[in-house]
Amino acid sequence: MIARWNLKSSAKLSKLAPYALPLAIVFIVIMFSIAEPAFLKPENLIGIIHQMNLIGIMAVAMTFVIMTGGVDLSVGPVLAISGLTAFFAMDAGLGLPIAIAAALGVGILIGTINGTLVAIFGLPPIIVTLAMLSIVRGLALIWGGPEWHLIRDQDAFTFIGTGHIGGISFSIILLLVFAGAVMFVQKRTPIGLIVAGIGENERAAYLSGHRVRLTKIAIYGLSGMGAALAGIVQSSQVHTSAAVYGEFGTELDVIAAIVLGGTSLMGGNGSIGRTLIGVIFLGVINNGMNILNVTLDIQLITKGVIIVLAMALSELT
Amino acid sequence: MNEAHLIDAQGLGKTYGSLAVLIDANFTVSAGEIRALVGSNGAGKSTLIKILTGAIAPTTGTVKVDGKELVLGSPTEMINSGIACIYQHSNLAPAMTVLDNIFLGRQPTKRFGLLDRKRQRREAEELLQRHAIQIDLDALVSTLPTVKQKEVEILKALALNARILLMDEPTGWLAASDVAKLHATIRTLKSSGVAIVYISHMLDEIFAVCDTVTVMRDGRIISEGKVADITRPSLVKLMVGEKLAKDSAQAGKFKRMARGTGKVRLSANGLTKRGVFSDISFDLFAGEIFCITGLIGSKRTEFLHTLFGSDRFDSGELKVDGKVISFKSPTQAISNGMGFVTEDRHREGLMLGLSISNNLVMATLRKFHKFGLLKRKEIYSATGEMITDLNIQPPDPIKPVRLLSGGNQQKVLLGKWLNLKPKFLLLDEPTVGVDVGAKAEIYAILRAERDKGAAILVVSSDLEEVMTISDRIAVMVSGRLVAIHDADKTTLAEIIGEIGGAAR
Repeated sequence: MIARWNLKSSAKLSKLAPYALPLAIVFIVIMFSIAEPAFLKPENLIGIIHQMNLIGIMAVAMTFVIMTGGVDLSVGPVLAISGLTAFFAMDAGLGLPIAIAAALGVGILIGTINGTLVAIFGLPPIIVTLAMLSIVRGLALIWGGPEWHLIRDQDAFTFIGTGHIGGISFSIILLLVFAGAVMFVQKRTPIGLIVAGIGENERAAYLSGHRVRLTKIAIYGLSGMGAALAGIVQSSQVHTSAAVYGEFGTELDVIAAIVLGGTSLMGGNGSIGRTLIGVIFLGVINNGMNILNVTLDIQLITKGVIIVLAMALSELT
Repeated sequence: MNEAHLIDAQGLGKTYGSLAVLIDANFTVSAGEIRALVGSNGAGKSTLIKILTGAIAPTTGTVKVDGKELVLGSPTEMINSGIACIYQHSNLAPAMTVLDNIFLGRQPTKRFGLLDRKRQRREAEELLQRHAIQIDLDALVSTLPTVKQKEVEILKALALNARILLMDEPTGWLAASDVAKLHATIRTLKSSGVAIVYISHMLDEIFAVCDTVTVMRDGRIISEGKVADITRPSLVKLMVGEKLAKDSAQAGKFKRMARGTGKVRLSANGLTKRGVFSDISFDLFAGEIFCITGLIGSKRTEFLHTLFGSDRFDSGELKVDGKVISFKSPTQAISNGMGFVTEDRHREGLMLGLSISNNLVMATLRKFHKFGLLKRKEIYSATGEMITDLNIQPPDPIKPVRLLSGGNQQKVLLGKWLNLKPKFLLLDEPTVGVDVGAKAEIYAILRAERDKGAAILVVSSDLEEVMTISDRIAVMVSGRLVAIHDADKTTLAEIIGEIGGAAR
């Protein structure tokens, strides 16, 4: 019965699919603005983008991992430990470039370990990165302790999260530049095709002469780097770093944004551009519910339901 | 005759939007009849079968079983009415016994939902007796030869009281000697009153086992009659139309190019992989098509993988263009100009969700980028040309490969490797599940590559194919090469003898 329904509907759905998400966003924006006109105020719309800044960076970086049929659950703690790394580096008197390089390096290192365990040892990504989530959080707590570390007198570092260029937040520019770079890699270099190929059929990708393992290690490294970059931006925005940042649920938001963008969790086609639209969609829902004073419990349930629906839809089409 | 129709479909039609894939089909089969259903890919066979299995509902028409009209589009209704389908690929649980497989998912139970093993065994034994099939009920399915596994699938259908069996390419994965065994089973089913619809591209089999034949083309049933009243050429003509029928008939008359240009391209000397194959030696020349034939399970696929670097041989020496080498990875083999059209296009060959264009460049991306940047224009023009050259239908480069017919998917897989301009082309069962028209096209492509000087190594169990395309023929039995012939100096009978004789 399912197969029959599938056949009939998929022809129609697949025609609509590319527009479904923008249409859904427009629809929801209209609903929210009718319910609460303040929703459309420019400050609020800019606020939405700011709220989604960190999720956006991590979602862009994780899209390739999802495209290969994998997942990276460890992004929350990686965000925290990278923020701590930046703090301790600057605290030790090292310059800003070194602090940033060290923070990004930690993220890339953890991601690469994830990738190695997945690609070389053939372990399931969900278990590897879940274990890594636990390990990295533990390390962050040992290293950073329970206290919040204030980042003072680091104007250049503070600029990353709070500065503006031409009236636009530097952190937003950072997201757009990063997304642009990854999008370029996806669309203009063979890597995007190879990643999609691995997600579609790993065996066929190997037999087509692609370095499947190396590619997988690299894309988990990229996901770790994205989490580290988000950690730098967050520490800069709030002038502190702490072991508890990137709290539980961060990874779900990131995965949700990617899936809402239409990338299948089973692997295969996906796109950075659509991930960004997914990020905006998630941001609109979060913000709209806040403005309408929807309580946190209902917000959580609503978000969960939307994510499951989006996944079900993406598997059908 | 009319009142004896077990299944009676009238006026079946199916349209998707403005596209009609099945038009006004009347299809009847009587009890104890073996009906062949033939036609090229896209002729409407699969649509008809999907309607009969309930996978899709027709746009128009009715289906009656025993005079009772059925609700269409429901697999449960079809199964309950006694229609069962045996697919090309196995649907069995290999780690379970024959008995468990027969009753999988609907074991007879006692009170409290406990399994009634005794009743299960009794029913299975009755079934075996009624249809005169001999099989060990306690054997694990994975230990059975492929032909016996097919019988288990048949038994599974019969246990559901199936009276109409649809068999889709039932011999697709069987070796020649097993085909006869399966046909014997089908004849016993016929004598116990089962109606069989036999869908196959293998015309020999249709003449061997079927009573009547229905020919489809372009969504219509264009001919129906007794197999005894039709000749093979006229059947092919009906299936594919005038032009391709001629091509197919002439295929056997092409020039043989044994040892091609006389230049040894690849030389295997005593290649051995312990427990798999041993002491394989032959030379592969530029400009020849060298076929390795044999039974399924004779380890030819495994052998090809060791040549291509996706597996290793333990001992022996491989020379490629005079240099001793063993490829460590497919990457290395490909950079040495070797392409490999794998056997299972869904599992090992294609990325079904990606476009035709992306699949066509998947093995040759290194040719399509400069300083790490994709050369999009060149990809479009190269794949556009490839689609035209290979006559891939529909000729739409952004269409996902998943939506193509088997024959066109196979052409995409072949095209992916032709893009490499291969010096060596390995092909494993290059036309399994491909219709007559596409087969002829694939053969023509292989000949063209050969004439350009490629060294082509084909593994095939389809003897008709082997006799048609090869310049030289090697026979592999249980991991050993037992004979190598020039194709024009041997006969089908000799090859069959060697396959069977040495198998013992």
